[in-house]
Amino acid sequence: MQLRDYIFRRLLVLPILIIGVSIVVFTLTRVGGSPIGIYLSHEMTPSEVAEIQARFGLDQPVWVQYLQWAKGILQGDFGYSGVAAAPVSDIFPLKLAATMELAAAAGCVALFLGITLGTFAGARRNRLPDHITRIVAVSGASLPQFWFGILLLIVFWAQLGIAPIGRSDATIFASIDHPTGLYTIDAILAASPKAFWDAVWHLILPALTLGYGATAIIARMMRSALVEELQQDYVDAARAKGLAEKIVLKRHARRNALVPTVTVIGLTFGFLLQGTITIEIIYRWPGLGRWMADSVLRGDQGTLMTYVLFTSVLFLLVNLIVDVVYANLDRRVTLGK
Amino acid sequence: MLDATQASENVASVRDLKVHFQSKRGVVHAVDGVSFDIQDGETLGLVGETGCGKSVTGRSFLRLLPVPPGILAGGAVSFRPHGPCTACEGAGCEACAKTGRRASGDQPVDLLSISLQDMRRIRGDRIAMIFQDPGKALNPTLTIGAQMSEVFLQHRTAELLDRAGLPPDTAGAVRRFAAQEPRFGDGLILKFPPKRGQRAKLQVALNQMVTEALAETQVPNPAKLMDRFPHELSGGMRQRVMIAQALACNPDLLIADEPTTALDVTVEARILELIRALQQRRKTSVLYISHDLSLVRRICDRVAVMYAGRIVEIGTTEDVFANPRHPYTRGLMAAVPTAGTARGKLAAIRGTVPELVDPPLECRFAGRCPYETATCRQNDPSLQPVSGGHSVACFIDHPTGSQDAPSFDRVTE
Repeated sequence: MQLRDYIFRRLLVLPILIIGVSIVVFTLTRVGGSPIGIYLSHEMTPSEVAEIQARFGLDQPVWVQYLQWAKGILQGDFGYSGVAAAPVSDIFPLKLAATMELAAAAGCVALFLGITLGTFAGARRNRLPDHITRIVAVSGASLPQFWFGILLLIVFWAQLGIAPIGRSDATIFASIDHPTGLYTIDAILAASPKAFWDAVWHLILPALTLGYGATAIIARMMRSALVEELQQDYVDAARAKGLAEKIVLKRHARRNALVPTVTVIGLTFGFLLQGTITIEIIYRWPGLGRWMADSVLRGDQGTLMTYVLFTSVLFLLVNLIVDVVYANLDRRVTLGK
Repeated sequence: MLDATQASENVASVRDLKVHFQSKRGVVHAVDGVSFDIQDGETLGLVGETGCGKSVTGRSFLRLLPVPPGILAGGAVSFRPHGPCTACEGAGCEACAKTGRRASGDQPVDLLSISLQDMRRIRGDRIAMIFQDPGKALNPTLTIGAQMSEVFLQHRTAELLDRAGLPPDTAGAVRRFAAQEPRFGDGLILKFPPKRGQRAKLQVALNQMVTEALAETQVPNPAKLMDRFPHELSGGMRQRVMIAQALACNPDLLIADEPTTALDVTVEARILELIRALQQRRKTSVLYISHDLSLVRRICDRVAVMYAGRIVEIGTTEDVFANPRHPYTRGLMAAVPTAGTARGKLAAIRGTVPELVDPPLECRFAGRCPYETATCRQNDPSLQPVSGGHSVACFIDHPTGSQDAPSFDRVTE
């Protein structure tokens, strides 16, 4: 099947999946409590509560409520966030940009470090680099992020005073426009090296903390896949051609080892998204994660449903991308059947 | 086959080769003192059971020992690469079969002691190898063209530049591409002018060379084959690609490690025919590793029989098959069923190959041999000539002088 047809077909199925996800999201949230819980107080009488419920259509059957919510979403109305005291659709893009910037930076760290370390260790199996990588990987997979983040903060922010906290320096942030909301990109667009460095400087610690766990997962997968590939006949056949070890490793073995690793990288994405919640709280990063944590604690259902729906769609898309990359790496994979 | 007028010089000599493997139960003596010569232009068959060390011996020529790490524990493999043809000085004449090269008095090199750099120059260029399973020996994620190109990029950079119409002293990223020494960022440089044109010229020349090499193996439509992936081809087709790749640089020695074992019987004959034809045309020597006696008999000039890390019998194919002198060789031949073998009457050699951890100081075939005597269990026979080029390691032909010599006339089991 042609790649283009395959993507097209997968995109056609996407709306059905999204409807399914939205039903699950809606049901689960309703089970969790009343959507107006955040606005109620103890001094209200039952009749006042009933009046509010009637105003928002909560006295109607659940499926009608669902349809009303779905209709709102199709019209771009995601509800009102009690936590942010503004419509969800106003705040969401800003928070999303902050989180995406963090997640992307952490993803780059994890991809680069994970593949490099994994290749390094796999090619030098049971030698010193392999052992060091193993320590890095095991600690990365087992250190709780909130603890590791706080540790880094204590050392680099509290003690040494070289690392900043938060997303940016307020005055520098105000000095440039923010058309994309991604601070690093905005700084480049504004051609302001000062703002760019400020953005990167603020990104380093949270991205490292967030990316560390994913680095560990990718590095371990890459290592074991590479060790396995290096035992294959085609590696010896490549050596028998007189190729340099570097080429045997990079062009032959690593390319094949990337095939299983790509699957893990796709899964890591969820790991990163989940991690942003902790990291944003620790580093005072004004992103979705922190907003979501507040919303969960205070029962802000409009925000919650939007978040879960959005991340689900994101996951579906990431899976599609993984499948496509997979098929590109390994031509034996046939897309669709 | 070797014609008598040609001086039988050796293209390679193995002397007392020892390869060990470290295992949990001790050191495995996989190859334990093997010596033989490969004459120029001949096909030497190396036969034996699985695990007797024949593949490891073959791989030693390229120093490609399998994991768990094999250790080259001793001995020498001297290899005498062909030099430029004396008649035409490399231009290519009838005497050297248009290869421009012929066996000459070049100094032999010891393949086990040269640097890895020098070894890499020999791999794929002077000594090539065909693997048992072409499905595994081709990289599944690279096209046939990409994999074949590597040989030319590695060993034929000068010819490639010449064909592409580029000066031989081309430097920079283009040179690094043609010599397969990529550096970070080269890919980007070669994608854009001014280097883009040169890169395209190189690709055209490269494709031409690959197509020519593929055409040699009589594959239909070689130019189209280049963009295919190995899994899209049949087993026979893949092996043809492997052969084309191995013979691309006119090697002086070809190691063929059971090249037809993984193939259908119907394809086998054609692949063998192909190897034979290409070998004769190019005057390449072949070390043919196989467990298939009838096959070895058909295509080899000489045969070496390996057993438990040793060569137990070696000689011309006629001598060995007409007059096998080692009980193991006889056992192997008896085990090959023929059309006359009655149903249910398959012969087998009893027992299994001894474990090669701490090999015993007795004949290694003792315990399986139908003719063994006390002598065989106390002494270790060495390879001794019985006639001309026919040698055997057995006390039947080389008694130690004691009364208790084994004989083919006396079955002792």
